[in-house]
Amino acid sequence: MIEKNNKKTIILWAGLAVILLLIPMFVTKPYFLHVIIMCLLWAYLATSWNIIGGFAGQLSLGHGIYTAVGAYVTVMLFNTLGLSPWLGMFIAGAVAVLISLVIGFPTFGLRGAYYALATVAISEGVIVLINSIGDVGKFHVGGAEGLILKTVGNSWAAFQFSSKVPYYYIILILLVLGIIAAKKIKDSRLGYYLVALREDEDAAAAIGINVRNNKLIAGAISAFMTALGGVFYAMLIRYLEPNAVAGAVSMSTQMVFMTIVGGAGTVFGPVIGGILLSLVSEFIRFYLGGQLMGLHLFVYGLIVLIIIIKQPSGIIALFDKLKERLSREQH
Amino acid sequence: MKKKSGKIVSLLLTAVMVLTLGAGCGGQGGGSEDAKEIKMGTILPLSGSQAPLGKIGQQARDMAIEEINAAGGIESMGGAKIKMVYADSKGDPATGVSEAERLITQEEVALITGCYQSGVAMPSTEVAERYQIPYFVDVPSEDQITERGFKYIFRLAEKTSWRNRAQTEFITSMAQKYNTPVKTVGLIYENTAWGQGAVRAWEKYLPEAGLEIVMKEPYPANSSDLTPVVLKAKKLNPDIIMMVSYVSDAALLTKTFAEHQVKPLAFIGTSGGFADPTYYDLAGDASENFFDISTWEPDVNRPNSQEINKRFQEKYGYAMNAEAVKAYAGMYVIKDALEKAGSTEPDKLREAFVATDLQSGPAQMYASQTKFDETGQMINAPLVICQYQKVNGKMERVTVWPEKEARVGSQIVWPYPGAGN
Repeated sequence: MIEKNNKKTIILWAGLAVILLLIPMFVTKPYFLHVIIMCLLWAYLATSWNIIGGFAGQLSLGHGIYTAVGAYVTVMLFNTLGLSPWLGMFIAGAVAVLISLVIGFPTFGLRGAYYALATVAISEGVIVLINSIGDVGKFHVGGAEGLILKTVGNSWAAFQFSSKVPYYYIILILLVLGIIAAKKIKDSRLGYYLVALREDEDAAAAIGINVRNNKLIAGAISAFMTALGGVFYAMLIRYLEPNAVAGAVSMSTQMVFMTIVGGAGTVFGPVIGGILLSLVSEFIRFYLGGQLMGLHLFVYGLIVLIIIIKQPSGIIALFDKLKERLSREQH
Repeated sequence: MKKKSGKIVSLLLTAVMVLTLGAGCGGQGGGSEDAKEIKMGTILPLSGSQAPLGKIGQQARDMAIEEINAAGGIESMGGAKIKMVYADSKGDPATGVSEAERLITQEEVALITGCYQSGVAMPSTEVAERYQIPYFVDVPSEDQITERGFKYIFRLAEKTSWRNRAQTEFITSMAQKYNTPVKTVGLIYENTAWGQGAVRAWEKYLPEAGLEIVMKEPYPANSSDLTPVVLKAKKLNPDIIMMVSYVSDAALLTKTFAEHQVKPLAFIGTSGGFADPTYYDLAGDASENFFDISTWEPDVNRPNSQEINKRFQEKYGYAMNAEAVKAYAGMYVIKDALEKAGSTEPDKLREAFVATDLQSGPAQMYASQTKFDETGQMINAPLVICQYQKVNGKMERVTVWPEKEARVGSQIVWPYPGAGN
């Protein structure tokens, strides 16, 4: 019986993999491919946020800092030194880890709303900084005017393509790696520690879990992954505006919404939430965008609100229930 | 029971979402091509904080398109009518990129116009350039937009720095005319893209004109108190005070200056808040004799200007602003290019823009001559200086400079006589 189930799962995954690999052959319209790319990017960012926000239950409302660090560091290194983004992204990731540790040391002692508030304050501060700094040494930051990626045409080394297809495969690989990382963490000792400290910090500490260190590790992994998402954003959009890359409305809270709507603390919840919400946002804009002012944002907000109220454990819980029912019927 | 209904609602919601997606994908296939229709796209902030500004841009375009279509469309293309597809950028660069992709590849528009914010124009023009579809930038003024060597981008608006250049010219010409030597300038600006860009331009043009910048004071936008800034200006006492502010800060600065009796030779605003209709409501009489720069004023002495503004006012219930005028005039520049191109083929259309030299028609309300240089930048910056003056007891923006475009019979008040004088 177990073997049969395993076989089924393998077939299912293989089928999904084939479909995902073949998507660019069927979706030839660049706009649709662009929409799919954005969906996967959001799924990836939500997955990254979920490590600290879901598994460890630390409500970070300032993850825009890390997308901004990833995007800015990579673009600055490329624009000024000509360093390939493929290398730059790891430097950017390292910087993000460093920042997450600097932020984590004082704030992980805080709990609940205080930690969330601290992340809001820090991220607002960072946005003001990026908005005010014109140059750092010979590196151009651009201040509030934003930073343009130097375009060099079609080049793998420079992470710049005229077709959307390479972007699709890159973000697909990034997302798959992100999911694998999330799955590994969830099943690891660290994952259990995180769940324990999420559920009851005092109890976790009492049984000998180093609460702060584990939070720091989760925070660092999350920051690194988020920064890579920021790098991808920078390469795709090719222009960094401080409020769009680091801002609360366009970046930080989106990751939170998507994760919660999909199912925080699960491996696939953030993926589902990210894909679904970005599709919903794109298509309601498509239909309602040119019409009544702001209607599509209102509808978007309403959908998020209803899901959070009606399905607080996320959409993933529906799938789980469905699976349960199916297996019950089979037996 | 209650739990079950919750589950049903969520299931239904998911179903609705999935269906919307399906419908979204399916609905795209069709779309009959009418040969007598020229489809264009416009990206504007139609939601978010800048939505009212996006809306007036939409109305201005709509009015111009209605006129053009009613007058027989594009003659060289058998009277083809213009059809505009509007897309909402939410004022967000990434959304602007996504919408540019959609307009070009889904809607298959012949041309894109837009898009109010420079931050959206920067990346969305890059998309158009990649697809080699002409992008007509009517309002965004960030210098770099036309400094990236792009071939398909044409900008009607002036560069931001040109405004600061014109302000400098104005100061020099006033200093001569009224024999009031100007040596020092103080800059007060909000710490945003706009403010920072202005400062960079001032730092270039003011010293070139022999003026010394003695004060450079950034402040966070939407401040609740600007007294420290004003007191600093009072202490340093520059000959001229120049400002970049949105409306609430502009009014606050104006009132605080009056309160502390700061008296330079002139206060000069840089459009934005100083041009906002609510500026006078908020600042009251303290705004008297303040200068501001813009590209268009209701009283400006240009052909067609007053008639078109009147039509707009009758249609929509309020007057045009400089951005609406650019959007409106822009449609006539586009019409002229379409007439010459006789085709919506991107390269023919591009060549038509390159060859544009428009010196007649409704576009006159913006500029007497519309022509683009090799970077796609409009060569003329039709900038005017106006001054808040009491006309028959009512505060008005009076266009005072340059002389040939000034309101007929207007007088400049220079130097600043002090608040309440």
